[in-house]
Amino acid sequence: MSFAQKIIKYCYTLEGSSRYKGLKGGVYNLLQNPRAPIRPYFDIFMILLVLLSVWLLIYEVKHDLGLWGDLIEVGAVTIFIIEYLLRFWLYNDSHKVIIERYERAEFINETFRLGPALYSAVIGKLRYMVQPLAIIDLLAIIPSYRPLRFLRIFLLFRLFKLFRYTRSISEFVKVLSEKRIELVTLFIFMAFITFTAATAIFFFEAEHDGGQIDGFFDSVYWALVTMSTVGYGDITPQTTEGRVISLVLIIAGLGVISFFTSIIVSAFGEKIHEIRAHRVFSEVERKQVDTLVCGFGRVGQVVADRLSEDKRSFVVVDPLEENIRLAKQRGYLAVMGNGEDNSLLVSMGIDTRINRLLCLTGDDVVNVYITLIARQMNPEIEIISRANHRENVNKLYRAGASHCVAPYEVFGLIAAEYAGQPVAFEAVYGLLTRQTSEGIEAVRIKRDSSLAGKQMGEIDFLARKLIPFGIIRDGCCDPEVDNSCFNLNERCFYFNPGERFTLQANDLLVLIGHEYSVIHLRDCLERGEL
Amino acid sequence: MARQDTLIFGCSALGHEVAMQLSERGIQVYLYSNNLDEVGGLLAKGLQAAVIDYTDDEKLMGIGIGKWVKTIFCLFSEEPKNLFLTLSARALDPDLKIICVAESIESSERLRAAGATKVIDPYEISGQRVHEMIARPYLVEMLENTVFGKHIDIAEIEIPDSSVLAGMALSDLELNKKYDLIVIGVVDLELSNQLIFTNSGVDHRLDAGDILVVIGGKQEIERLRQGVSAAGEP
Repeated sequence: MSFAQKIIKYCYTLEGSSRYKGLKGGVYNLLQNPRAPIRPYFDIFMILLVLLSVWLLIYEVKHDLGLWGDLIEVGAVTIFIIEYLLRFWLYNDSHKVIIERYERAEFINETFRLGPALYSAVIGKLRYMVQPLAIIDLLAIIPSYRPLRFLRIFLLFRLFKLFRYTRSISEFVKVLSEKRIELVTLFIFMAFITFTAATAIFFFEAEHDGGQIDGFFDSVYWALVTMSTVGYGDITPQTTEGRVISLVLIIAGLGVISFFTSIIVSAFGEKIHEIRAHRVFSEVERKQVDTLVCGFGRVGQVVADRLSEDKRSFVVVDPLEENIRLAKQRGYLAVMGNGEDNSLLVSMGIDTRINRLLCLTGDDVVNVYITLIARQMNPEIEIISRANHRENVNKLYRAGASHCVAPYEVFGLIAAEYAGQPVAFEAVYGLLTRQTSEGIEAVRIKRDSSLAGKQMGEIDFLARKLIPFGIIRDGCCDPEVDNSCFNLNERCFYFNPGERFTLQANDLLVLIGHEYSVIHLRDCLERGEL
Repeated sequence: MARQDTLIFGCSALGHEVAMQLSERGIQVYLYSNNLDEVGGLLAKGLQAAVIDYTDDEKLMGIGIGKWVKTIFCLFSEEPKNLFLTLSARALDPDLKIICVAESIESSERLRAAGATKVIDPYEISGQRVHEMIARPYLVEMLENTVFGKHIDIAEIEIPDSSVLAGMALSDLELNKKYDLIVIGVVDLELSNQLIFTNSGVDHRLDAGDILVVIGGKQEIERLRQGVSAAGEP
């Protein structure tokens, strides 16, 4: 077996090894996967380590570190080296590069040559080494090597390592990098002014003419200090010509500074929503929010208030700033954006964490659209949609809604009932919406419950101040045989069950009564005292 | 003329919806609006609609408010219109049943202060419905298919003067054994218009004029109605 064959065999072993993959996956979670639960702990540890090592560096300027200081320094550097090597290893799979080369050679019937394959694997790793963050990592390690002590200033690069571990710093860099064109323009303009002013002042204020400028470096230094409006005053123009130049430079400097400020401000102004949204996304992830409310209009507000009363977690999406502010005032998680925005839904985790979507906007087109895309991304999700017009209910169901609520239809129903029989309706409506303390509630009969197998007549509901309303049972029933039972979706409802109706385990007993009575009954069932 | 008529003011989608629902229940409705286009649209759908200047009290009296109209719905999409109409109508007839639509809590309060009998907020109700679907999916499914699905009705039954039920205690009725329905409670209008629940522990003694609130199938309710009216054993 030749050397090349041995290498290829080794590569295939790696490819087939689940232990190798598990190990690499673990390292990936630790170092790179932003969603891994261990990531925040690792990041905090590394931040502390970096700060500690930089503090030692400062301390060392005037004091002797002693044995412990040296040990900590060695420990920190070791961890940095291990981290660097792990990232180096993680960047890509060299064995895959070689396997790919080998298989291609086999496929086109060419003899496999190890040299070029290894070369491309090395190139892959080199590509890692020239990344800015990788260079920073390397520079943070190298000066610890004794012969390279003169590079000690680079130890400050350890501070730059913090970029890796903190989101806000990297967001700052990202915001600035989006304003690249403006910043480059500004930089060229600034360089031009500096150079012109420096040349002019050098010309008029050189030392042998009675000025204070000693060499071109001094003049550039003076020009920058003046332009930035810092103005130390260590070098001041002595001649009239020099003073005129200063005046012009000061005015130009004001322009440069205000231009720079406006670039930064506008960059953040444009990005602030995104940054806030990111915050909310990570919050949503941390709290394991499972309900997404699209639209924070009147309906959305009522739903959100009730959900928060129930201590359920949810997140609100609305395109209007006003509504988002309202949601935040009430302490809800909220993101400004359109529900139709595919990427927003994905960032919320519509295909993973979220298992309930409420489309409650006032626009049926938007509701249908959100319903449709959400259903495509997640066939399992429960979608409740609002239909503002009667004719759109069917469209919503076709788009994939699990339930629809039509405000006008509900209004019509209630108004019509109310017009006919106000007294009865007021009472029953109160029951149904739990606006009164009396309400309609369901109690699940557990497998080992004492009620299972009992007949309805054996239980004195009235003594417990409860009215039995009906039973919901899994399975089907035949309305022909018993005309007070109704088929629901995969379940069956028996209205007003007679005295001889036998309860079964897993039945839902629907009762009308005061909430305390129902709680008391549940409590008794739990303790088996019935 | 008996006070029968039901008028709907405002011919938006909401007015249309209520008109449909009432027609399904066999109640004759008339729609009015000050907007010619809306009225035209409803006429095309076969509903009885007409244009009216609702700010003119003479005109309102002309269509029967203060005389034979029993119920009006104020369903304009603008709150000031509803408010104005409610005030005018209440001034014309203190006994008129006025049902208004409101789109916020503040607006409900204003309308109630102006004299509306009942203010319904469609968004509030829808929000509650959505929440119920999340919190108690089985119950909602059951109710949608029964009470709202028109298999089971809610009914109020007034006890006539000669009824055998008069003088009986609520707990002695045991109507859910004799009929296939549930008695939720009773309203004694002489005391208040609050419902006394069957399970409240207060054993109310029935008398003529009390209103029983029951839930059950249509036929059973009809049977009870006849039983209650009969002078014999129910």
